[in-house]
Amino acid sequence: MSAPLVEAFLAKIYVDEHARARFLADPHGEALKAGLTEQEVRALEKIDLVGLDLMAKSLERKRSRHSGKPS
Amino acid sequence: MRIVSEIKDRLGLGWRRELAAGIFAHLDRIDVVEVIADDLFDAPRRERRALRTLAAQVPVALHGVTLGLASSVAVAAKRLEKTARLFEEVRPDFWSEHLAFVRGGGIEIGHLAAPPRTAATVEGAAANLARAAAIVGVAPHVENVATLIDPPSSDRDEATWVSEILRASNCDLLLDLHNLYANGMNFGFDPMEFLKQVPAGRIAAIHLAGGRWVSARGARRLLDDHLHDVPDPVYDLLTEIGARVPRPLTVILERDGNFPPVEFLLQQLDRARRALAAGRSQRAEQSGQEAA
Repeated sequence: MSAPLVEAFLAKIYVDEHARARFLADPHGEALKAGLTEQEVRALEKIDLVGLDLMAKSLERKRSRHSGKPS
Repeated sequence: MRIVSEIKDRLGLGWRRELAAGIFAHLDRIDVVEVIADDLFDAPRRERRALRTLAAQVPVALHGVTLGLASSVAVAAKRLEKTARLFEEVRPDFWSEHLAFVRGGGIEIGHLAAPPRTAATVEGAAANLARAAAIVGVAPHVENVATLIDPPSSDRDEATWVSEILRASNCDLLLDLHNLYANGMNFGFDPMEFLKQVPAGRIAAIHLAGGRWVSARGARRLLDDHLHDVPDPVYDLLTEIGARVPRPLTVILERDGNFPPVEFLLQQLDRARRALAAGRSQRAEQSGQEAA
């Protein structure tokens, strides 16, 4: 289990559009490259794509506004 | 005959600069005010003085948004020490933080993110909450977060995960009913079922807010944006909370922008008061029946 690596990987694909594009093009390869276990890689291959798009858009808006309080 | 509950709940608003005048003018209708801790860490002395003035007139709760306690990574002591200093200065009734991670691998996400719901994040959250309690001197209430993405790599549902963190920590739950409602809408579970699964006796505070629908790839999700009015189903959840929770609750209405006149927010607070009172009546009636 490499929970901190999973969180780091998620943080990266949430905020970095290039990293996200690389991940979407090759989820297995990118997750493996990040040092995740086979189980974690398999889980990330099944990522919620609608959610990932919306999450990324929402973060982009927040970061560009530099405002908006989280709940 | 309507049975009146003896539980004394408190309802109030989230403090925002735009609402300050309205809050000060209506303290007769506001029992408690919640202040965002992170806004004050580096605030000018004038603002901190205003907060102390506020705290002298109405109970204050401090709400943190950037600690990222639900993480398998330990939260830096310096972040907790900032909270501890503010807590010491303001002396709030309680403080709270989110069950979220906000950074990873040196990257600041810039918002609350739901971590993978696993044993590792339960353990990590419990360890972080214990450190937070030790440094601040008081354990925080922990808040469930809304998420647009089904947290990747999760192996348990949200109710199970939250309940496990409550069991593993000394913390009580700040239950955000709009976050719960949004997650229920987005991921196909019934928020009322969630309420049956989490320990009612550990619910200490409630958040109310609103949001809007957003879409991608032909699907839509409910975004908790704090820019819209509280939707009807959230009041229904509040009534259910009133019927289930045995202790007095602090209920905060959050609004972060698109501000209506304060009177409009106070009307929503009045509606929340009625919704909670209806649940309290149900609870009192049930207790009366059981005692008879």
